[in-house]
Amino acid sequence: MKIKRSNAYSMATVIGASLLFVALVSAAFVASDNVLERLTVLFVYVILAAMWNTLAGFGGLVSIGQQLFFGLGAYATIRLADFGIPPFVAVLMAALLVGLLSWPISKFMLHLKAAEFGIGMWVLASVGHLLVNLDPLIQGETGTSLISLNVYQIETRRVLIYLAALISMVGLLIGLFYLLRSKAGIAMQAIRDNEEAADSIGVDAQTVKKWFFIFAAFGTALAGALWLAQASSFQPKTYFSVQWTAYMIFMVLVGGIGRFEGAILGALLFFAVETWFAATGVWYLVGLGAVAVLCSLFLPKGLWGAIESRLGLRLIPVGYQVTDETLKSHKP
Amino acid sequence: MNKRNTPKYWFSKWLVPAMTAGSLVLSGSLMAADDDTINIGFISPRTGPLASFGKTDGFVLEQARKALADGMTIHGKHYKVNILDRDSQSDPARAGQLAKELINQGVDLMLAISTPEVINPVADASEAAGVPTLSTVMPWEAWYYGRGAKPGQPSPFKWTYHFGFGAGEFYKTYMSQWALLETNKKVGVMYPNDADGNAIRGALVPRFKEAGYTVIDPGAYETGTTDFSSQIAQFKAEKVEIINSFPIPPDFAAFWRQAAQQGLNRQVKIIQIAKTGLFPADIEVLGSLGPKIASAAYWHKSFPYTSTLTGQNGTQLADLWEKESGEQWTQQLGATLSLLDAATEALKRAKSPTSRSDIRDAIATLNVTTIGGKVDFTSGPVPNVSPGPIIGAQWVKGTGKHKLDYVITENVTDPNVPVTHKLLPYNR
Repeated sequence: MKIKRSNAYSMATVIGASLLFVALVSAAFVASDNVLERLTVLFVYVILAAMWNTLAGFGGLVSIGQQLFFGLGAYATIRLADFGIPPFVAVLMAALLVGLLSWPISKFMLHLKAAEFGIGMWVLASVGHLLVNLDPLIQGETGTSLISLNVYQIETRRVLIYLAALISMVGLLIGLFYLLRSKAGIAMQAIRDNEEAADSIGVDAQTVKKWFFIFAAFGTALAGALWLAQASSFQPKTYFSVQWTAYMIFMVLVGGIGRFEGAILGALLFFAVETWFAATGVWYLVGLGAVAVLCSLFLPKGLWGAIESRLGLRLIPVGYQVTDETLKSHKP
Repeated sequence: MNKRNTPKYWFSKWLVPAMTAGSLVLSGSLMAADDDTINIGFISPRTGPLASFGKTDGFVLEQARKALADGMTIHGKHYKVNILDRDSQSDPARAGQLAKELINQGVDLMLAISTPEVINPVADASEAAGVPTLSTVMPWEAWYYGRGAKPGQPSPFKWTYHFGFGAGEFYKTYMSQWALLETNKKVGVMYPNDADGNAIRGALVPRFKEAGYTVIDPGAYETGTTDFSSQIAQFKAEKVEIINSFPIPPDFAAFWRQAAQQGLNRQVKIIQIAKTGLFPADIEVLGSLGPKIASAAYWHKSFPYTSTLTGQNGTQLADLWEKESGEQWTQQLGATLSLLDAATEALKRAKSPTSRSDIRDAIATLNVTTIGGKVDFTSGPVPNVSPGPIIGAQWVKGTGKHKLDYVITENVTDPNVPVTHKLLPYNR
């Protein structure tokens, strides 16, 4: 018997992912405007799904207030840009600042359990929304715009935003990958499966949860700042809307909660559904809800969970795999 | 086993990328650019909380499409004109997304109408993509400064243009309207915490004071407030006789019903509202509290102008709407048509009406009279803006087939508009 981390699939995935990355970078210079803009949106969705999955899937922290960090990321970008900081620097600084802010928030929020934590985050998101409204720069619900981006040529600007989103997504996914493979990641998954048991074998639950919470806050804030860069307009009501968390939940539930690949698959599915059906208005939302309900009833592990358990397929090696190759090799 | 033959391999390697690619192709190829067709994007709120603004747009667009059925001949060349209208669903994020979609479908000119929630995101998306954009129906200060322009600095906007009323016009109109009645000159103001509210508070309150009015301002309230008793108590204690408010319709209905329960309505001579009270339905819901509420109109069917696009005058347009829909005319009819008037006039003047930069240059030097009055970008207070009229008006008990009539009581911002009625005190 042998315990290993990677297999032939995961090697293929690494090569495939690297090739895809190179292809996406070169796409920045050849693809049409529309493709670039849609891909930017897709990258933000992947970030959102992966970040919510980090919290809920790996950490067992079901938050319905992640729009707090999404909105704050965008707001901080507007504020920093108003101080004269170049927009792309402001995007990164904003995400870092929100990550920093999430540290004191984690201090008290992580003492709440399960539903209390979920609702508590929503309350915090609403408080954050109202506080942002008080800033005269934002002008209440009307909001304002990130006009400092207008200094770039239109083509340059589109490519820069695309590349920023691509690099952010890849950076966060790689970060998450190593986080999950680290000691903290294993501890986190132990806490998710049974907090008391994990505690009894010496896992420091609070510290581990705190780091996952901060990581998810940073990533979600970066997604908010990137969304602002591609949309230009900031209206508090839009950015602090619970719909963002609803989208994250949809992507993760349908894709496969607690699976690294699941969040990415969920984001791709959501993106495809949105592209094809968003024009149908209310029925699109009803359909999204119905799919999420059906998935949680019949595919509790999501699409990727079903694929994984039927086929034993694992593309991204975040856990350990037990194989019986050595046993076989001893047989004549 | 060769893993290429397993379904999982095909799923992960081909199906997902193929779906994604499919979505991208589908969203990109709906409309190919055509040299002989001018494509105009038009975004307005047709459903959702702002639906009363967009209600008449389908009808006005139908008039425009009829007038453009044979296309336009510009500098001797014939063009088909295609208007792509979209519903923002009153959602700013949706408005921005629709604008991007239309831009990627290759529109030559973008139009956006009614409220910052529609216009600002569309203008931002167009500015980012270099598409000429024309808009109307929101205070221009909230459009210009609200999107981050700074007073005294050069305009940061190269592609977006806006015409219509602003705080300066409101000031003139209110001074003219309030002087029509004898009052104690005490004004209670109810401005919410949003772009309109803050722009108006900053621009109007100091000038009201200069003009000799005492202003009682209980402070900005958040949109969606349901209890206004402290403001009402303050207005009663200060004996205000004029109230000025810029609320959204549900907030005003809540405020004014509570005011009536607490007897504030009996001391008020002028209740002057904007943003709500633009359409008959806003006032009808107030029942007996509705008549004699004063308002200000960006268009009225007795405006003495003709549409450059359809040739209709205000009365013809309003009558046709009433005949076709069976409902009372609204000021949005003329506003929407004035936007289409200005847009088509700009196209006529563009060197090439399918070149985005030529259309932009034509808008920047546009000076025409539409069904809504003058649109002149050559002499605005800031570049990109052409201020327009806001006419003092009042809702009164209907004399004809409608429950309420909307009558003009003053015309300082456009003296060509005829004044037909005297302003009636609310509490008598």
